[in-house]
Amino acid sequence: MLNESKIKLMTGISMIEKDKGKDLAIVHRYFKGDYIGRHMLCAFLGYTFCWCLGLLLVAACKVEEWFSLLSLKELADYFVGYAAWYAAGLLVYLVITFIVYFIRYRRASLTMRRYLERLKNLERRYEFQGKIKEPGREVRKS
Amino acid sequence: MIAVYVFREKLRSFYGRYDVFITPAVRFLLGFLAFHLINGELGYMTKVNNILVELVLALVCSVLPYGVMAFLAALMILAHVSSVSLELTAILAVLMVMVGILYYGFQPGDSYLLVLTPIFFHYNIPYAIPILAGLSGSLTSAVPVCCGTAMFYIFQYVKQNAGVLSGEASAELIQRYAQIIRSLLMNQAMIVMMATCGAGVVAVYLIRRLSVKYSWAIAVGAGVVVQLGMIFMGDFLFNVSVPMGPLVVSMILSVLLSAAYYFMVFAVDYSRTEYLQFEDDDYYYYVKAVPKISVTAPDVKVQMFNRRRKGSAREEGYME
Repeated sequence: MLNESKIKLMTGISMIEKDKGKDLAIVHRYFKGDYIGRHMLCAFLGYTFCWCLGLLLVAACKVEEWFSLLSLKELADYFVGYAAWYAAGLLVYLVITFIVYFIRYRRASLTMRRYLERLKNLERRYEFQGKIKEPGREVRKS
Repeated sequence: MIAVYVFREKLRSFYGRYDVFITPAVRFLLGFLAFHLINGELGYMTKVNNILVELVLALVCSVLPYGVMAFLAALMILAHVSSVSLELTAILAVLMVMVGILYYGFQPGDSYLLVLTPIFFHYNIPYAIPILAGLSGSLTSAVPVCCGTAMFYIFQYVKQNAGVLSGEASAELIQRYAQIIRSLLMNQAMIVMMATCGAGVVAVYLIRRLSVKYSWAIAVGAGVVVQLGMIFMGDFLFNVSVPMGPLVVSMILSVLLSAAYYFMVFAVDYSRTEYLQFEDDDYYYYVKAVPKISVTAPDVKVQMFNRRRKGSAREEGYME
């Protein structure tokens, strides 16, 4: 005979696996620090690449202005300003990245906890059913 | 009103039954609209400006995620722009790569907003998209909406300046770069609309999450007010004037669209709100439960007791 509550439980587990499989994989594969650190490294590289692209665009506009600067010191001062913008932007971007992936990992951990609770519940049911099906064995043990 | 709720339930059950077909069909339609809009606005490359290409690309997009649609649309835009000006193509490609890395690196899953926004602008209902994005998305939905807005204004820029941009001997290469970048990034109408859309999304999102009665309806109203305020500020500060007639019509249409979405997604009965309080080992819980309005469609069954048969006495008599 069909056990309705067990079917519901198993369906719930399958739904979590299907919808939140990605989240489960995150917690399964990475520690929190590794996960966030990996993405912050990617963010650093991505931001630096984009900043270089942006600098190319700026260079296309201002190359004449740069060549018209008289001394190397003036040019250096000019680029210190750009470097400051780079550092400020990078800091903001890394903070955003940290917050996003911190929240994602926390959500993934909660999903994993819910998933494991359901699995344990299912396991307990199977154990209980196993005991009912083999009463003689239980008697011999006692 | 009950009939409308019944209609909504029927729509839901219809979607539940045929979602395997409806979802790809919606993606196909959205993709086709987007590619058709790009070809209509920028159709400079004759090889791409073809309805067959639009259909094939839309068909590809119907079975792939929205991110692929945005990527293909970006490629199509670059292809068209490259026929006008290689400098502008390079600048657009750089800007697109920057957005792709900096925002889509987070895999936010809201690329459909990037595609939808220029379509809404094209059909003169731009104020609907921030409200809908605020109701359905998150705070970060402001980014694709703003990017979509910028994309629409870039279309306009290319369309209006195609002759100047394609002129070979208009200026030196560096001067042309500088001119294009200034025209693209210092477009005040674009900046005002981006600020309007961004502020609209943020306002709607923050208000609809409040734990007050009719928060979604208030959020829609606030979205309209904030957007109007931003437009008037733009008019005052940057002298970017928006004609009043189309603005009012567009706002009304936007509110109607948002109301339809609100009705389909968030129909709740605030009069039956319940406040619960309970505790466990760690916490006290103060819960506010607002029931959803759910109406079951009437299942009308007509049972015939006296079925007419062919050749019955009465029918035969009639035939005579």
